[in-house]
Amino acid sequence: MTAFVVRRLIRLVVVCVGVSLVTFAILHASGDPVSLIMPEAPEADRAVLRQALGLHDPLIVQFARFVGRAAGGDFGNSFFHRTPAFGLVMERMPTTLTLTLLSMALAIVVALPVGIYGAVRRGRAVDQVATGAVFLGQSMPVFWTGIMLILLFSVQWRLLPVSGWDSWTSVVLPTLTLGAFTAPLLLRIVRSSMLEVIGLDYVRTARAKGVAEWLVIGRHALKNAALPLVTVTGLQFGLLLGGAVITETVFAIPGVGRLIVGAIRQLDFPVVQAGVFMLAMIVVSVNFTVDVLYVYLNPRIRLR
Amino acid sequence: MRHGSLPLLAVLLLLALAPSADAQPKDTLTIALVAHAPTLDPHMHFERVGILVNINMFDSLLHRSAKLAYEPALATSWKAINETTWEFKLRKGVRFHNGDTLTAEDVKFSFDRVLEPGKTTKKSPQYGNVRAIKEVRIVDPDTIHVVTDKPFPLLLERLVFFPIVPKKHVEKVGDDAFGASAPIGTGPWKFVEWKRDQYIRLDAHDGYWRGKPPFKHLIVRAIPEIATEVAELKTGGVDLMRNVPADLVPELKTGPQTYVSSTPILRVHQIELDMRSAPFDKKLVRQAANYAIDKQAIIQKLMGGLGQQVATVVQPPAFGFDAEVKPYPYDPPKARELLARAGYPNGVDVTLHSASVEFRPLFEAMAQMLTEVGIRVNTRMWDPGPAWNKFFQSEGKATNGIYFNWGNYSVFDADAVLHPLFHTEPGGWIGKWYTRVEGLDKLIDEGRSTLNQPQRKRTYSQIQRVIHEEAPAIFLFTQYDTLGIAKRVEYAARGDEWLWLFDAKPRR
Repeated sequence: MTAFVVRRLIRLVVVCVGVSLVTFAILHASGDPVSLIMPEAPEADRAVLRQALGLHDPLIVQFARFVGRAAGGDFGNSFFHRTPAFGLVMERMPTTLTLTLLSMALAIVVALPVGIYGAVRRGRAVDQVATGAVFLGQSMPVFWTGIMLILLFSVQWRLLPVSGWDSWTSVVLPTLTLGAFTAPLLLRIVRSSMLEVIGLDYVRTARAKGVAEWLVIGRHALKNAALPLVTVTGLQFGLLLGGAVITETVFAIPGVGRLIVGAIRQLDFPVVQAGVFMLAMIVVSVNFTVDVLYVYLNPRIRLR
Repeated sequence: MRHGSLPLLAVLLLLALAPSADAQPKDTLTIALVAHAPTLDPHMHFERVGILVNINMFDSLLHRSAKLAYEPALATSWKAINETTWEFKLRKGVRFHNGDTLTAEDVKFSFDRVLEPGKTTKKSPQYGNVRAIKEVRIVDPDTIHVVTDKPFPLLLERLVFFPIVPKKHVEKVGDDAFGASAPIGTGPWKFVEWKRDQYIRLDAHDGYWRGKPPFKHLIVRAIPEIATEVAELKTGGVDLMRNVPADLVPELKTGPQTYVSSTPILRVHQIELDMRSAPFDKKLVRQAANYAIDKQAIIQKLMGGLGQQVATVVQPPAFGFDAEVKPYPYDPPKARELLARAGYPNGVDVTLHSASVEFRPLFEAMAQMLTEVGIRVNTRMWDPGPAWNKFFQSEGKATNGIYFNWGNYSVFDADAVLHPLFHTEPGGWIGKWYTRVEGLDKLIDEGRSTLNQPQRKRTYSQIQRVIHEEAPAIFLFTQYDTLGIAKRVEYAARGDEWLWLFDAKPRR
C-alpha cells in the first residue's frame, strides 16, 4: 500500500509539472500582456513594464523561476488585480467546488435509482422515458440548458432568481444545469452495468435461494455494477469542472472558471497558471481517490 | 404515461400561479455590467466597466453634460494662459465621503500619482492619457496651473475623466487598500461593499455638492452573459443594462416592464485595409471596395436602424468632423469598373479578419457584397482572445484587412481616432502595420500640436479629404449605444457611453 501511494504521489508531481509546462508554453506563445495592460502607451513605457513583470527574460528562465516559486505556493501577482494569483483562485474555489459537488450529487441521486429501475424493468415506460432523457440531456450544450432553465423558471414562472450566488435559491438552476449535463452519462453506465450483472449466475443463485428482490439488486448486483460507475464518476469530475466554467458565466457565479476565462482574455498569466494548476490538482486527487476506492469495491484488484 | 401526465399538469399549473419574484426596494438602483474592473481605484485600471463605476463615486475637474458640452465640476472655471499653461479655479467647500474638504493639494496629488515625475516605471495604465502634462502647480488654495510640455489640445477632454482622490486618505491606507476596500471620492455615491464578480454596493453621499442623488442605494452587478442580463432586466433583478443586441431590442421595447434608450455614439466601424500588399496597395481597388458596400441596407437590416453612415472614420459628434465630405455611395457597377481599371478585370481574392464576434453577421454580409463586385472575400473570424492579440497586435499579420470598431476612449476629438488608426509611428496601433498614405503622419502631428481650434479644424478637414480619396479603409458607419432600462427608472443613453446615474430618477 505504501509503495502504491508513493508511486501515485510521484505521478501526481509529474502531472502537475506537466500541466504547468503546457499552460506556461501556451500562454507565452499567445501574445504580449503588456500591450493589453497599456494599450495607448508608447513602446518605451511598455518595455519598462515588461521588465518589471519579468517578461523580458528568456522563456526557460521565466519557467524555472515560475516552478521555483510555485513549489512554495507562490504563483506571482496577478497583472491586473495586483494581488497574489493564488489567493484570487483560492477565494473562488469553494464556490466552484460547491457547484460541482452539488451537481455531481444530484446526478448520482437521479442516475442510480432510475438506472437500476430501468435495468430491472427493462423496456417499460420508465426505462423508455429515461433513455429518451439521456439522449436529450447529452445533446444539449450546458450553455443552452442554462439559458432555457432561466427562461422557464425565472422569466416565465418567476420562481427562482435569474443569476447570482447570494441565497440557496440562486444555487438551484446552476446545479440543475450542470446536473443535467452529467446525469445522462451516469444513468447509462448504471443501467448497462446493471443489465450485465443481473444476468449472471450468482444473481440467479441469490434469487433461487429466496433472497428478497431488493437485497438481490441493492446488495449483490449493485456492488459489482458499481465499479464502472465509480470510474466514470471520477472522470466526470474533471468534465464537470470544465462545465462549471460555462455555467459560472451564464449564471454570473463568482467561481474559479469565470476567473480563468477573464484572465485568459487579459493574458493575466499568473492567474491562469494558478487556476489551471489548482483545478488539475483536484482532478488528480479525485482520480487517486477513485483508485483507492477500487480496492474496497473489488478485492480482486491488487495495488501494485 | 396516461396517469403520468396528470401530476405534471398540476405542477405546471401551480408554477403558473406562483407569485412573481420580489420587486426591488424603491430607493435602490441596480445596474448590470459584464464585469468588474480589478480595482475601484480610478487611476489604476483602463477599463470601461471600471470607469462607469468610478464616475459615480469620484468627480473630475470637468464634467460633460448629457448634451456633451463641458460643464464645471470640481473646477468652476478654466482658461489657457498661454500655449502650454492652463489655469483652473477650484470649487470651494467640496467634501469627500469621509468628511474632509477638497484642497488644491488633493488635486496636485491626484495628478502626481499618475504622472509619477522622476520615475521611469509608471504604475498607472492611464499615464499615456496625460503624459503631456509636465507639472501641476498650486498657485493659491483655489487655483492650480497645469503645465504641458507642448501645446496639448486634448487636455480638457482628458480632464473630463481624471478623478480627484483625497491625498491624506490615500497616503494613510495605501494604494492597494484604496482600490480594494477603501475608495473615497467626492462623487454622488460612496463605497459600502464590494463582492468581487458579484456586486458593488454604494450609498448616497449626503454632503454631495450637486445635491442628493435621486437613488439612495446603487448596486453594480457583474453579469458576463448578455442573455442573462436581459432575463434579469425583464424580471426586475436589474434596472439597467448596456449593449442590448439589435435582435433583442423589439422584445425590450414592447416588454411590460422595460424600455430601450438609444443614441448615436463615437463608436465607428470600418474595414481597415492593408496597404503594404496587393491588391489594396492600389488606390483604385480600395475605392472600389468603398463603392461595393450598401451601408444603408446593413444599418436597416442588421442593426435595427441604429446606425449612421460616415464618410471617413471621424464621427459626427467629434471635434474636427467635416460634413462636407460625403460617404461613398453604394455603386456596384462603378466598383467593378474601378477594379478592372486597377488590373483586376476578373476579380481578386482577399482575406479579411475580425475579432468582433458580436458583429459577425455584419461582417459576413459585407464580405458577400465585396465578393459580388469581384473582391472575393475569405472571412476569418477570431476569438477576441490571446491568439488574436498575438496574430494582430504583436505581429500585424492580419492581411488583407480587418473589420473592427473604435470608440475613441470617449474622447470627442478627431485625433483620438486618426492617430491610432492611421499614424505609422511605432507606438501607434493599426496604422503602423497597415497605413501607407504619403504626408498623412505629418498632418496628424500638425493637428495635435496647437491649441488653435480653428486651425486644427482646418487641418482635420484636409485630413478627411485626403483619407476619403486615398481610402486606407472601407468607411462604414457609427453605432448607437443601446440601453435596456426598467420602466420604474427614468434615464437616457448618452453620446459618450457614460452611465452618469446622478441623472437617473425614479418614475412616478
